Amino acid sequence: MAMRSQIYEWTNLAPAGTGSTLTRAITDDTVAMTLAQQVSVFTGGVGYNITKPAETTATQFVVIEDIACSPDDTTNQGGDVQIRINTTDYFQNPDVTQMSGVSGTASPYPRGISDGTNNLLKSFDLYPDVYVLPGQVWDVLYTANTALTASTTADCVAAFIKYTLYDGPDALIANKLLELGITVNPANVDWYKRTLIEQQAGGF
Amino acid sequence: MAMRSQIYQYLATADSTSQASIFVGGDGNNITKPAETTATQFVVIEQVASTPSTPITLTSTGMGAYTQVRINTTDYFLNPDNRPNYGVPGTASPYPRSVQFQPSFNLYPDVYVLPGQVWDVLIVVTGRTGTAGRPEAFVKYTLYDGPDALIANKLLELGISVSPANVDWYKRSLISAQSAPPAPAQD
Repeated sequence: MAMRSQIYEWTNLAPAGTGSTLTRAITDDTVAMTLAQQVSVFTGGVGYNITKPAETTATQFVVIEDIACSPDDTTNQGGDVQIRINTTDYFQNPDVTQMSGVSGTASPYPRGISDGTNNLLKSFDLYPDVYVLPGQVWDVLYTANTALTASTTADCVAAFIKYTLYDGPDALIANKLLELGITVNPANVDWYKRTLIEQQAGGF
Repeated sequence: MAMRSQIYQYLATADSTSQASIFVGGDGNNITKPAETTATQFVVIEQVASTPSTPITLTSTGMGAYTQVRINTTDYFLNPDNRPNYGVPGTASPYPRSVQFQPSFNLYPDVYVLPGQVWDVLIVVTGRTGTAGRPEAFVKYTLYDGPDALIANKLLELGISVSPANVDWYKRSLISAQSAPPAPAQD
């Protein structure tokens, strides 16, 4: 299992009064957020979290392929999602100032959610993918476009990340592909393996 | 029938919030024994899906589900901190698909179950269930049997994706190599 398709889903749901949780439960309630509050979906202390920041080891390579979140419209309370590698934000304004990232309206989660009139489909595709090299820390930040109230059903929001984790020899190959200027994806990693095998077989 | 497209559809009969096997979990439609491959079988899991939910309905009367793939004792989907999670949300990979719920997730690369391995799909139901219906799950996989399982193993060794097209390509390559005219004798 050296190349694995992985997902992470964040919601602002946690046991009442706690702020965040490491385990989902059906009794979780919405956690309040202020307008324009930006939180890490991994360790931000709001809703579903993990135990430590997301990072790659020396033998891992991560390719982030999709990010999405709740849209902000007359029906939904949504926001924006931003990718951060180490301390650098991926999405920025044309004048190189900071922005909050991709809006849930452009990349909605769930895909097809109703905005009251239409079912929203994605306008944004994360291509080229975002690479997280070995040893880097990465994060996805959610910014609330409206203030969210605790324990309010309509104030539940979510974010979604799809990424592929390359581990061990496949991470080395991913690095090699990067050096060669070739897109890192499962098909190209397999192609590189075949090339190596063919070269070895030709040597005998 | 050496390569067969297969599906398994699961419909729970009771609300359960603990992680349970859709094959032998003791609830809903089950099978007689855990799913496993024999020495001459190779399984490629191509899709998992489950009942979707909007974030809003998770906190009201709605219901959602997550599906996790387990090979032997290893969970496939992990959080970035290496802890197993519930797996793919039905919201990201919905079953059934609808205008309101379209897939955000595609299981690529596929999950390979090698000969002799035990595999399972686990479901967790979330949301405040009770009157919201019954959670469902769906698995699409391809079963390679006999010679095609051997070819699937060979493709895996060669670093080629195991798919019906590539198995056929490998067979054609073998046939072409066998039917090639012998090299002329050298004096």
